[in-house]
Amino acid sequence: MLSRVADTIYWLARYMERTNGILQASRTNFIASQDGLQEFGWRPLLVTYTDLSPEEIGEMEYDTSRVLEYLIMDRANGSSAFNYVMQARENARSIQDHITKEVWQCLNDYYHFIRNANIAGELKHGDPVSAIDMIMRQGILYTGTVDNTMTRDEGFTYMNIGKFLERAIQTTDMVSMKLGEFSKDTKNILEGPSMRYLLYTLFGYEIYIKTYKGNFIADNILQLVVYNQHFPHSILYCLERIFKYFERLQADSVAENFDQLNFLIGKTMNNIKYSNVNAKDPEMLSGFLMQTKNEIFEIGSTLSKLYFGNS
Amino acid sequence: MTDNSLLKQYQHQPGVWDEMFSQDGLREHYSNFVSAIEGLPPLEMTHKDETAKKLFMSQGITFTVYNSGEGIEKIFPFDIIPRIITSSEWTQIEAGIKQRLKALNIFLKDIYHSRFIVNDGIIPAHLIYSCPNFLREMVNVEVPYDIYTHVAGVDLIRDNDGQFYVLEDNLRTPSGVSYMLENRSITYRIFPDLLPKNNVRTVKEYPELLFKNLVSVANRQMSNPTVVLLTPGIYNSAYFEHTTLARLMGIELVEGRDLIVDNHIVYMKTTKGLEKVDVIYRRVDDEFIDPLVFRPDSILGVPGIYWAYRKGNVSIVNAMGNGVADDKAIYTYVPDMIKYYLNEEPILKNVPTYDLENIDQRKHVFANMDKMVVKKTNESGGYGMLMGNSATEQQMDEFKKAIEHDPRSFIAQPIISLSSTPCYINGVLQPRRVDLRPYALCGPDGINIVPGGLTRVALKEGSMVVNSSQGGGSKDTWVLA
Repeated sequence: MLSRVADTIYWLARYMERTNGILQASRTNFIASQDGLQEFGWRPLLVTYTDLSPEEIGEMEYDTSRVLEYLIMDRANGSSAFNYVMQARENARSIQDHITKEVWQCLNDYYHFIRNANIAGELKHGDPVSAIDMIMRQGILYTGTVDNTMTRDEGFTYMNIGKFLERAIQTTDMVSMKLGEFSKDTKNILEGPSMRYLLYTLFGYEIYIKTYKGNFIADNILQLVVYNQHFPHSILYCLERIFKYFERLQADSVAENFDQLNFLIGKTMNNIKYSNVNAKDPEMLSGFLMQTKNEIFEIGSTLSKLYFGNS
Repeated sequence: MTDNSLLKQYQHQPGVWDEMFSQDGLREHYSNFVSAIEGLPPLEMTHKDETAKKLFMSQGITFTVYNSGEGIEKIFPFDIIPRIITSSEWTQIEAGIKQRLKALNIFLKDIYHSRFIVNDGIIPAHLIYSCPNFLREMVNVEVPYDIYTHVAGVDLIRDNDGQFYVLEDNLRTPSGVSYMLENRSITYRIFPDLLPKNNVRTVKEYPELLFKNLVSVANRQMSNPTVVLLTPGIYNSAYFEHTTLARLMGIELVEGRDLIVDNHIVYMKTTKGLEKVDVIYRRVDDEFIDPLVFRPDSILGVPGIYWAYRKGNVSIVNAMGNGVADDKAIYTYVPDMIKYYLNEEPILKNVPTYDLENIDQRKHVFANMDKMVVKKTNESGGYGMLMGNSATEQQMDEFKKAIEHDPRSFIAQPIISLSSTPCYINGVLQPRRVDLRPYALCGPDGINIVPGGLTRVALKEGSMVVNSSQGGGSKDTWVLA
């Protein structure tokens, strides 16, 4: 596969995964903002997902409507969901012969939907949750179309590596964001909700209550979002998927490049697998998350250098 | 109000040959189509029109128009009423185009090698050498099977005598074939069953035929040649076509930056390292294709590709340097070429054309400029053109000055009254002018012309300019079996 095409299709998948992440995070945080007794601040989310300066964040952080618009629909914000969808669609347009016609059409429809439909209006004046749900539905359609129509070839492999890499980053970021909450005494029910919202953001609420019967203990939550091998948003799950998909590239790789990256992915995966983080030591946890995130970024940049020809 | 009255309301224009209606009424080959739609309520036709537009939009069948530096994505306007050609008319068109392309390929071989046609005085030497698209770099370069133009689009128009004339040849990078394919697929969705009922010949073999020809011009020692399509990229107005063709043929779509030439061999950069390329179907213009030989500021091309081509290490379709044969001044000599090389009378006639370097002809043109079309010999896309009947005095004066300054760069033709055909516009059938661009594929096994091609429509009322960049649209073209 052409290096440029591999690069493009990998980033297409990353953009789509990131869009999904932002939308779900926005949705959950909106509900959280309506539910709490005190003023809900959007600061942590804005710090994680945007390039705004602290002053600019300060102006927005208590204005839910403005934040939602900025994160989701603002064309001037390069990190808005809108711009990610646009970028993904442009990527798809330049590699149309490597995705199926259905996937291209799906992305094209998503692009026209987010541009033309009265989503911005619904977000601002109507029910923001419905608006976000409508947008996310397009994302689900995309996932299903990719799964159902694409051949399991090199392109598909790069898409999945991109998707799971992005997802691992998202989970790491979300946990880092909520780190402050873990050190608090969890027996106090009033503090429970923020951990609940972490689970919602990562699509993990239902699996959590099934596994742990509704007791929101920080260590259990960490177990789920970091180590659980059946939970599709856990960091370990994502790394294992990356490792498995990358193996498929062996036949189409230059041997030294394959070995180098394979080693890197395996090392990252095992660093997570054979670690033991808990909520009682927030500093260690924070260090662990930072290291994991850096290692994941290194996988991305090595892939970019060795396979996509970027120096 | 039934469709019958829609047809009855159709305004005939005097002095214009209409594709659907003759002086005596509906032409026979349209009767099947008309009887199928005449019972439809007008809302139904509007619904079909809207469905077609939605389908184009959702499939991203767009092209980019450049206006004041900004590129805007537009849907290529499509009119739902097909244009129908009888099988006997097609037989003549097909034979005429085959003859013409055969002569043009021989001409290209001739002027880049022995130049017999010049030495025998048929075509003046200065006309060839003053053509900006004549490439000295192509002199004495051998091309596989002596085929220079593998993909050609010959533009035909019908005058008010009902005869087809060749308006111009496009031998370099003719575009529009993807619209021909898409138009057909939209038509069978909005008019189910009509295509088989009318016995319309298929067009879907085009990508296979093209691929077969591409493979056959590879270096003979390869059993499984690597064929790629070289595109200028997503900002090119015909990008949709490049990606469609690559997808339908199953070949890699590459940009200049994906290729690299090492030791006069062309490679593409893949995730598995460098892979050799044998045949390039290039949609990048000659002057941009190699910055080391042609325009040095081009980033669309591949440095060193010309030398690889000259050495025979890679085949390029269409060959470089074809522009000399579709130069509008050389166009006037094509009938002479047919007689000289093939010893035959041309089956399809040229439109009468005035040589503006000739003083008498120039005087005549200036005196009758309001009835003339003046075109630049080496531009395309409908730019650099003057339509005498709608031009202002000032525009005519500007052109006269330009012609006197550089007569070689212009030709003039009397304004042909292009044939008209009904179009469904704003709920009413209205006549608009059309041309026809059939696509021909020339390979070692001969010349294939896909039945039909692109009918381009001048959508603006009264306009005779059909180019997409100037607001033209297209129709599905049916050739009856």
